[in-house]
This record gives sequence, structure tokens and C-alpha cells, in this order.
Amino acid sequence: MAMGMTVDTVGELAFPVWNPIRRRFPPDSPFFASGNVERELLAKQVALDLTEDEINHLQIIVETESRRISCPIAGCPERLKSLDHFEDHYNARHTASCSVCSRVYPTSRLLSIHISEAHDSFFQAKVARGYDMYECLVEGCGLKFKTYKARHRHLVDKHKFPTTFEFFKRTQLSKKRREKLQRQHVSKLKHKEDKEEASSDAMEVEDKASVDGLVSALSTLTTADTTPSNVSFGRRHGRGLTFVPRSVHREKRTESSSAPGPTN
Amino acid sequence: MADDGTASNRRDPIKSSVGNVAGQRRRQQAVTVAKERRELLVRAKRLCRVGTNGDVEDACVENEMMIDEEQPILEAQASKAVEELKSAVQYQEKGAMQKRVIALRELRRLLSKSEFPPVEAALSAGAIPLLVQCLSFGSPDEQLLESAWCLTNIAAGKPEETKALLPALPLLIAHLGEKSSAPVAEQCAWAIGNVAGEGEDLRNVLLSQGALLPLARMIFPDKGSTVRTAAWALSNLIKGPEPKAAAQLVKVDGIMDAILRHLKKTDEVTAIEIAWIIVYLSALSDIATSMLLKGGILQLLLERLATSKSLQLLIPVLRSVGNFVAVDPKAILTILIREQNTEESIVGVLAKCLRSEHRVLKKEAAWVLSNIAAGSIEHKRMIHSTEVMSLLLRLLSTSPFDIRKEVAYVLGNLCVESAEGGDTKPRIIQEHLVSIVRGGCLPGFIELVRSPDIEAARLGLQFIELVLRGIPNGEGPKLVEGEDGIDAMERFQFHENEELRVMANSLVDKYFGENYGIDE
Repeated sequence: MAMGMTVDTVGELAFPVWNPIRRRFPPDSPFFASGNVERELLAKQVALDLTEDEINHLQIIVETESRRISCPIAGCPERLKSLDHFEDHYNARHTASCSVCSRVYPTSRLLSIHISEAHDSFFQAKVARGYDMYECLVEGCGLKFKTYKARHRHLVDKHKFPTTFEFFKRTQLSKKRREKLQRQHVSKLKHKEDKEEASSDAMEVEDKASVDGLVSALSTLTTADTTPSNVSFGRRHGRGLTFVPRSVHREKRTESSSAPGPTN
Repeated sequence: MADDGTASNRRDPIKSSVGNVAGQRRRQQAVTVAKERRELLVRAKRLCRVGTNGDVEDACVENEMMIDEEQPILEAQASKAVEELKSAVQYQEKGAMQKRVIALRELRRLLSKSEFPPVEAALSAGAIPLLVQCLSFGSPDEQLLESAWCLTNIAAGKPEETKALLPALPLLIAHLGEKSSAPVAEQCAWAIGNVAGEGEDLRNVLLSQGALLPLARMIFPDKGSTVRTAAWALSNLIKGPEPKAAAQLVKVDGIMDAILRHLKKTDEVTAIEIAWIIVYLSALSDIATSMLLKGGILQLLLERLATSKSLQLLIPVLRSVGNFVAVDPKAILTILIREQNTEESIVGVLAKCLRSEHRVLKKEAAWVLSNIAAGSIEHKRMIHSTEVMSLLLRLLSTSPFDIRKEVAYVLGNLCVESAEGGDTKPRIIQEHLVSIVRGGCLPGFIELVRSPDIEAARLGLQFIELVLRGIPNGEGPKLVEGEDGIDAMERFQFHENEELRVMANSLVDKYFGENYGIDE
């Protein structure tokens, strides 16, 4: 297979593979906390006539009080009491899915932006008329743009998104379709420049035959703009976006300017 | 408040609001008390309810504990008792000693009864200077005992109360000497143990005042409750996290022998406190570690682990083993392999801990195994060839999160050769990887990927990478897909942690790209 192989090694080196190491903890490490609590509870058990149940109960309370979990989804301020609570929270708040194409987004706002941009012909009509329709993805920013590309540039410049970030990604194609595209693409990739992208944050597929005709017009735009060298095609469940919080530093890899290679 | 419906409408609102407020206040108090109670139970300090001289003349002491005495009454009594003590101390006539002992005893009883002794009241009434006076040299044993007992329980509560003992420390330490009667010395050791349990500042004060040596000497005898109390106090004194107390202890002549002797022979209750001393020594002092290893401590620890049923003992013994294993890979691990076929082989003993119903034992046993599994290929084979594997696989699916994480470390470590030198990529041990995956570990690892804990998610992704890369015939991706692994990895798109995002993305791109499934 020709595609993406040259970049595999880069990808491999970048991945921190499993390396067995010994782990040592100081005596006051939180790792030992539950054992320490157990020690004290058991020592007082007889004097205070605590039952084993009471001890277990106390153990759990002491532990949960000190171990709230922060939701790791970027931008979410929730702190949950336990892993089960986290699962419930995640399923309730971070799985806004599009009923049309099944893509999943972490907030309902992003979902609605996606629906407008991807499935709403009215939206496209206004775009065609020159209105500023593409909202900035960062909540509270408020700016709007005439093109997907312009918004993308804004995200990169103003909000430090990585250049390879893509809000809109293709769904995974059927096997037949993939094979067809693969044959088309072999020739095209020979023309691409060697880029230094280490991360495979966002990939683009050129998809002429996607469901929505308007959507494919979009895809042409984006591919031309930001094709990274490690191209990868199709993905399960239709990935929505690679969302980077404001606090993230700029990507360390060299920001090679994307040469607008031919896409057709 | 009862809603009997017969009260007139006019009065009802007032009644309910009063009832409400009182009810609320009671509930709030219950919550506060519960929290205080919890803190009290979790502190490293211990209240003394039965005298070191075996004083049980107060047969009703046990019962009185259960009576819910109103705190204000108790406090008033405490103030009064201190006043009595003051006059007793000032009294110079014949029978002064009796008066003092009686007054001390009364105060001691008040401080030993309920769950929350009236310490603050006693302190406000000026108990400390009086108690210090009662500790003066040449005082009769009974007086010393009662006074030290009062101080013990004053120091068993809140931080400020423990700190109030500062003026009494020099005398308490002095009475640890070999000339003191055993019960007196023990009671003083108890008080000092409570002070040491408060925090590092007070530990430093005790060290600078020379508490360590006399306390250490108290554990030389073969048996007795004094040994146990002194060992407990000593463990509080050296717990660090600064290593200097542990370093001082190592220098005490004969202390290592005493520790080994006790670990081997003494009753379980004393062995518990000795084991905690070993925990801190093995964590904080390299010299102690090598001395103890040379003295054969590992075998003694394994014996205790194999034979004891007491959770209180198993915890510190297991942790000591863990500390030793974590510290010195080569020296210990040669011993471990040698002992493999005995009853107390390390893997067998750790398996026993994994089978236990206690969370702490399971978690820390898995930790020890993970460190052994991080060793040489022989060590990995040693683990992989035993029944511990099925235990681990079961625990990965069913146990609480912190245990699962440790088990994950064991399993992953078993599948990868430890890399020598920084650049070589560690090699996968295919035989182990295949058998572990076949054993059904993949769902457990993918579950870790979904957890909000960064370390766990990282582990999960790293193991998935091993599977994708290392399972022969390129079957890895299918296996991962079959367990919803791709879905789990795609969660990271929105994850706060950049490293994890990149890791997950790179795996999906590399193994589930366009080529995926085409070659079928």
C-alpha cells in the first residue's frame, strides 16, 4: 500500500509505546491513602465498637470525599463524585449526535452548528448570497465568516487551533467506495509535498460521492487548504471535530504552509 | 413535627417553622458530628481508655462510653476537675499526694469516657501547667501515670489541642528512660505517639528533644505491651516524609536485630506496629533497606503474609514487600526466583492477597506484581506460568477502578520486554500478549480508555497499541474493533489532554484508515 506508509514510522515514534518500569511511591503518597485509613480505622475498631460494615462505609466516604473526578472533555467544568457518575454525565452531556449523519459532538451548540452547515440547504443558500454564515466555534467569540476556510483561518490565528484541525470530516465509506477512491488517489498522492506533520490530528478525504452534493463542494475547499502529509481515509461513526481548548499551546510541529496542491 | 390536623390554622405555621428549624439544626449537627467522628477515626492518634497498668477498677468505663452525655455537662465537670487539681497541687500538707492523685484520676476519667472528651474545657481551665507539674521528677508512679494519661487523651484530638502538649514534652521524654516503671514509660510513650501522629512539625520538635533513642530502646525486650505501644509511637515518629528520623533510627545499635526478631516471633498485635516501622524504613532509608534484606527480612515477611489472617498485619507486611521490591531490583529478585517453589513463594503469597476480599490488599498486591513483572524475562515467565494469571484477568473485569489500574500494569508489563538503554523500542513478548488477550483482557483495557483518569486512559491506549502492533497475522485491529475499541478511542477528539488526543488519533489513523478491511 502506498498511502500513508512513509509517515507510519513518524507516527510510531511519536506514540509512547508501553515500557515496563518499576513504580515506587513515597510513604505519604495518595497511592497508600486507603491503606493508611484502614490502619487507623481498624486500630480504633475495638475501642469504639465499630463493626466491619461501619469501617467499610467510612473507608468509602473518606475516599470519595477526596477524589472528585473532573470531566476531561475540553471546556466542561463538571466535577463528578465517582466513575459511575462520570459515565452518566458523559452520556447525558457529551453525546449530542446528529440524526442525519450520526456524527457526535460534545455540546449541543456545536451539534446545531454542524447541522446548519452540513444539512441545511437554507444555510447554503445564504452562503451563496454572500452572508456571513460560518460561526466561530469558540463559544462567546461571536464572529461569523463568509467561508469555511475563513473561519478556519480565524480559529487558527485567533484561537490557536492547529492548522490541521477540521470541523467537518467524512464518514467512513463502504468498502467498495474506499477501493474506488484508493485507486483514484494513488496517482494524486504522488504529487503531494513531503510535510512534517507528526500528529495525525485531522485528516481529510476527498469525497466527491458523498451524500450531500453541497458538502462535497466544501470538501474540495478544505482539502486544498490543509492537506497534511499523513492522509488517512474514512473513519467509523463519522468523527465530528478535533476540538482543541483555548488553553492549548500552539502545536509544536513546524507549521509548514500548505501548498495548494491540485485536488482534482 | 406531627401533622395531626387538629391544631388550629392560626398556630400551625409557627409550630412548623420552629419544628423545621430545630429539625434542621439537629440534622446539621448530626452531619457535623459525623464528619468530626470520621476525622477522629482516621487520625493517627489513639485515645487511651484503659490504663497501662491494666487499671480496670472502673468497670463501668466501657458502658459510660455509650451514654450520650450532654457535652456542656461534661465540660463543666472538666473545668471543675481542673480547679480541684489546682488546689490539690498547691496543697502542701500531709496527704497532698493522695489529693493530687484523686484529682488527677477524676480528670482522667472525664477525658477517657465519651467519644469527644472535654479537652477544650480542660485546656481553658489551665490543665497543662498543672499536669506538667505533676510530671516532675521524683513524683510517685501513680501520679506520673495519671498525669501522662490525661496528657495522652488531650493530645488525641484536634491539632491545636495536641500542640498544647509542647510544654510537657521534655518531661514525657525523660520518663521514657529505663529507670521508669514500665506502665509509666508506656503511658508517656503513648502520649508522645499522639503528638508525633499530629504532623511533621511536632515530629521535628520531638526529634530535636531526643525522643527517638529512648523510644527505640523500649522495643528491645522480647515482649510486653510496652513494646507494642513504643513501636506504634516510633512508627508515628519516623513516618516522614522527611527521611531524617528514619536515618537516625538506623543508627541505633541493635535495632535492626530487634526488628527482625520481632517480625519473626512476636505476637501479631506487636508485629503490626513493627511492620509499620519496616514500611517507613524501607521507604525512607536505603541503608535500612540493605541491612534488613541482608538480615533475611523478605523471607520473614513472606511467611507472615502466608500465615496471617489479620488484615491489620497483612497491610503493612504487604506494603513492606512492595517497598523492597520497588527499590532494589537485582538483589531481591534473585532471591524471589530462588524461593519460587516454596509454600511462601512470592507469587503464591501475592495470589493469596489477590484472592482476599479486602480492597487494599488486592490493590497493593497487584502493585507489587507489576514491579516484579517489570523485571527480567524470567520474572515475567515466573508470573505468567502460575494461577495468578486467571486471578488477574478476572480482577481486570470485575474489581473497583484502582485495583483494575494496577492489574493493567501487571498485564502490560508481562507483555513487553524491559528496554535496556533509552533508544531501543521495547520488544513485545508475543507469547504472553497472545495468551493474555485470549484470556479476555481487551474489554477491561478498553474500559480504562473510557475512564476520566488520565493515567488509566493512557495505559489503555498503550495496551491497545501493543495489540494492534503485536498480535500475529494482523488480527489486532479486528479484535480491537470487536470490543468497541475504535469508539472508545474516538472519544478523545474532545478530550482536554492533548497527548491522549494525539495518541488515540494516531492509532485510529494508522490501523483503521482507508486500508482497513480492504484486504479481506
